[in-house]
Amino acid sequence: MALISSILALRRDKRILKIPPYLSALCVIVGIAWLLVLPLNEYSRGTYVSENALLPGQVHTYFTGSEHNVFRAYRHEVHGLIDKPVAERSQRLETIFREQNLKVATQHYNYTVSNRTIANENVYAILQGPRADATEAIVLIAAWKNMADEVNNSGVALVLTLARYFKRWSLWSKDIIFLIPGDSTSGSQAWVDAYHDGHDQRYVESLNIKSGALQGAVAVDYPAGPWGQRYDKLHVVYDGVNGQLPNLDLFNTAVQIASGQMGIGSVIQRMWHHDNSYKDRLQTMLRGMISQGLGHATGPHSSFIPYHVDAVTLQTVGDGWHDEMSLGKTVESLFRSLNNLLEHLHQSFFFYLLLQSNRFVSIGTYLPSAMLIAINFSIAAMALWVKSGRRTEPIANPASTQPKSKPASSADKEDKGDTKPTHDIKHAKEKAPAPQQPATELLEIDGALAIVPVASTTVTERALLIPALLVISAHALGLVPLYLFNNWDADHLPGLFITTANIITLFPIAVAFLFNYTSPHILTLQALTLIQCFSLLLLGMFLAALATLNFSLSVLIGVACVPLSFVRRSTNMGINAVQLGMLALLNPCMVVQIGTKLLGGNLAEILVTAAQGWHIWGLWTQVVVWLVWFPAWIACSVVVASGIFD
Amino acid sequence: MTIDTQQKLLLFGAAAAVRLLLFTVFPALPELLAGRVEVSTPVTSFKRLQEGVFLYTHNVSPYDGGVYHQAPLLLPLFSLLPNPAYAPLATNLFYTAVDLLSANALAHVADSGFASVTRLFASPRKELRWSSAAIAAGFLFNPFTVATCIARSTSALTNLFVLTAMAKASHGASITFVLAAAFASYLAMHPILLFPPLLLLLYDARTLKTKTAPDVSSFVITHSLGFAAAIAALLSASAALTGSWDFLAATYGVRLLLPDLTPNVGLWWYFFIEMFDSFREFFLGVFWLHAASYMPGLTIRLNKQPLFVACTLTGVFAIFTPYPSIADAALYLSLVPMFRHLFPLMRYTFLASASILYTSFLGPAFYHLWVYAGSGNANFFYAITLVWSLGLSIILGDSLYAALRDELDVERPELQGKEVRRI
Repeated sequence: MALISSILALRRDKRILKIPPYLSALCVIVGIAWLLVLPLNEYSRGTYVSENALLPGQVHTYFTGSEHNVFRAYRHEVHGLIDKPVAERSQRLETIFREQNLKVATQHYNYTVSNRTIANENVYAILQGPRADATEAIVLIAAWKNMADEVNNSGVALVLTLARYFKRWSLWSKDIIFLIPGDSTSGSQAWVDAYHDGHDQRYVESLNIKSGALQGAVAVDYPAGPWGQRYDKLHVVYDGVNGQLPNLDLFNTAVQIASGQMGIGSVIQRMWHHDNSYKDRLQTMLRGMISQGLGHATGPHSSFIPYHVDAVTLQTVGDGWHDEMSLGKTVESLFRSLNNLLEHLHQSFFFYLLLQSNRFVSIGTYLPSAMLIAINFSIAAMALWVKSGRRTEPIANPASTQPKSKPASSADKEDKGDTKPTHDIKHAKEKAPAPQQPATELLEIDGALAIVPVASTTVTERALLIPALLVISAHALGLVPLYLFNNWDADHLPGLFITTANIITLFPIAVAFLFNYTSPHILTLQALTLIQCFSLLLLGMFLAALATLNFSLSVLIGVACVPLSFVRRSTNMGINAVQLGMLALLNPCMVVQIGTKLLGGNLAEILVTAAQGWHIWGLWTQVVVWLVWFPAWIACSVVVASGIFD
Repeated sequence: MTIDTQQKLLLFGAAAAVRLLLFTVFPALPELLAGRVEVSTPVTSFKRLQEGVFLYTHNVSPYDGGVYHQAPLLLPLFSLLPNPAYAPLATNLFYTAVDLLSANALAHVADSGFASVTRLFASPRKELRWSSAAIAAGFLFNPFTVATCIARSTSALTNLFVLTAMAKASHGASITFVLAAAFASYLAMHPILLFPPLLLLLYDARTLKTKTAPDVSSFVITHSLGFAAAIAALLSASAALTGSWDFLAATYGVRLLLPDLTPNVGLWWYFFIEMFDSFREFFLGVFWLHAASYMPGLTIRLNKQPLFVACTLTGVFAIFTPYPSIADAALYLSLVPMFRHLFPLMRYTFLASASILYTSFLGPAFYHLWVYAGSGNANFFYAITLVWSLGLSIILGDSLYAALRDELDVERPELQGKEVRRI
């Protein structure tokens, strides 16, 4: 107790206030450096399969020979459907499934996002496992069109062939669902929503037939045309919506079967040539983080992951010597592994960063970096809180000026700073010697007496209400762009974006001017300090909570917000201009625009995808941007901008 | 109309508008919140109440299904309201009214001034206080209170009776106090522990009001007998209503013996999940003894400030009872601002409020990871409930320290401003 109270006494020390910015900076630097060392061998691990029921690659695969002819026939059949209307296509696919004695159904969906209509049909068939009791199912998916909007000709044909082939086996102990969604993202989302009764019946039809709880899903993306195309590697896509990831066991099983059993190399995150160097590992990790941070759907598998169904997409890439049969065998072996599962995949990691297809970093190793970045804001907030409780007017020197009544001791307040944590401080109030003198008090520390101005030891009252209301209204303000961007007409989204970017950049200056012009007593120095304090406190809190849900998004936003914990209101015009310029560069719109340029994306497309994500996939990234990042930026910018009008 | 009542009307109107707006604009919100473990516990959940009402209106004992653990007298009350699945307005208005009445009671408590000036004690900082309207606003616009109201948890009713009991005690109204305290204890059992400090408060208020001190023993005996009679009447009415005394085991038995280990923001559920059955009875005893032991200790030590004791006990309930929810925390956190004069003496306000703020966001996030995403486990959520309780207990301990310090400043003025040390 004595120790605590001495530490508490220490917080009156002026030098304590000087530390936090350095501490914040240290947190940020360590947090980022932490990320950079992750690709090293010492901090990452080789992947391994934890769930022993999976037994990847332990079974002989029989998908060969005459199945190849069946596949080629289906491939031509599918090719013939490309130009047909959706209804006819669905009907034909249904017929093919029905010929295999499978239960078949079609689901129609019709979304309207940003005044654009997304309408198509999902066809799916259920193979009742001969040894199953319809309580569990695994899903094999081939979207009609892949993410690049190419027709998934061979992929769909492969699923049809496998449906015919799987039907003949008696060893399935789970139902198998063959799903051909109309497109790669919305179609599978509509289906999986309806499967779990989480759909909106205005846009998505309910499913006529269902099976048991989904245990896993595998999507194939093989857009080769009717004459086939041999491929080089498998690109395993694993990011789910909102940055959720499938269980690492599923990913490992896919990679291990492809490489160990079939001899097909696997790549991740579009790193076609990975030479296992530090640079490539880091690049893979960063690409994974950006993809996870954006939280968009990366393939037909993405929609399954929020429903706790582990899923991956196997995409064929490159020009090599592997043919469709080896892909079929991979899928067969993978399904045999999933068929072995005794319970839901749970053994391995759900939070990981992959460095290459057989190396990963687990959450315990990487989480501290995001937390350190988030804590930097909390530290800054605490420092500002302490600062807001201090006198704003300078403390008059008690020992100078008035020559009449001299204080007994000339010891100044620095003495107090030397207090050791184990010592006690005893205060004894003393009347100020003369009314015009600044009030002083007598401090006794370890027998040593010191007279210090009362002003330097008293804590001023903080007016909390107005700063708190202003910060809350900054957060409420974020609802406006959130609503507009999600509901605006698709053709006018880029225009809206440019307008928003301009308004946002000028907004803090306008707010600061308005307050200064109409009611200067509201934005006092203390109020401004408290606004920044609350805003940073909330930012740190949101980012810490977010780090547990979507690590990458938390890091990305945390890094973009770092300057917010260092900018301060200043009366120097030059410093203000520099700070405002930097903040203008780091405003959310600007960062999005620059990021899009750097990554080679199309802004209009990204905005439409984001709106689509909000309405269809349940994407939360916009919420974080507009209700966490944007308000923090606004609050801190207003604090800086108010310095101009001083 | 005075400015004060005008202000109050405006405040109540705004609070009612916020609640009704939330009810109507987000029709899915009540269902969502009613399903959250942070808001609805097995003994306060509105969904379980619906189940009880359904069984009751179909002439089946409401306690048969093992789902309903709330007081029997709630059943006729809620069966009068139209079914909330089709016509939610009546229920919504009812809960809004409950919140407004609670706020009104809280304002009365604050008006009485017993927080800083009692019969035997006057704080040296007694001028430092917030208006009763501000304190009522703190209650009405507290997000936890709003969430409780929207979730239609029955702890809102318990809070109403606790606050009414406090208000009546601080105004020296014996009969209404006894009735309100009996209702609160009947609904939630643990408020029975508030009776002694509030009786003390009532005694103080009566003495100040009549300028003569009533005889202590006859005062205590009559009020305790009245309290016992009121509870007995409520219990026998319940028995008459349900036709048997089975409800005792299903309501108070569940609160005492913790058979339902649904997660909540408290500290008990995880502990008793992990516990070997042979130790269960022993630890139940220990936990209850611990939770109950604060009452005599605080009442004796701080007998000069009975309102502070009652307020602190609500904080103890929010941490140490078996089925706490954010409603209990809302009650405590709304009572704390009455003790504005203690704030300058409190030392960890920022730390405590930051940890409560952090946990109110991290809690749902971790619960999501555990239950929905499947990527976390029970330890995630439990860790956060620990921090939540830590935050509340920091406020509790810190305010206790401040209250003791406040008393010390009066008793030993020469020690003012000196640092404390443990000897």
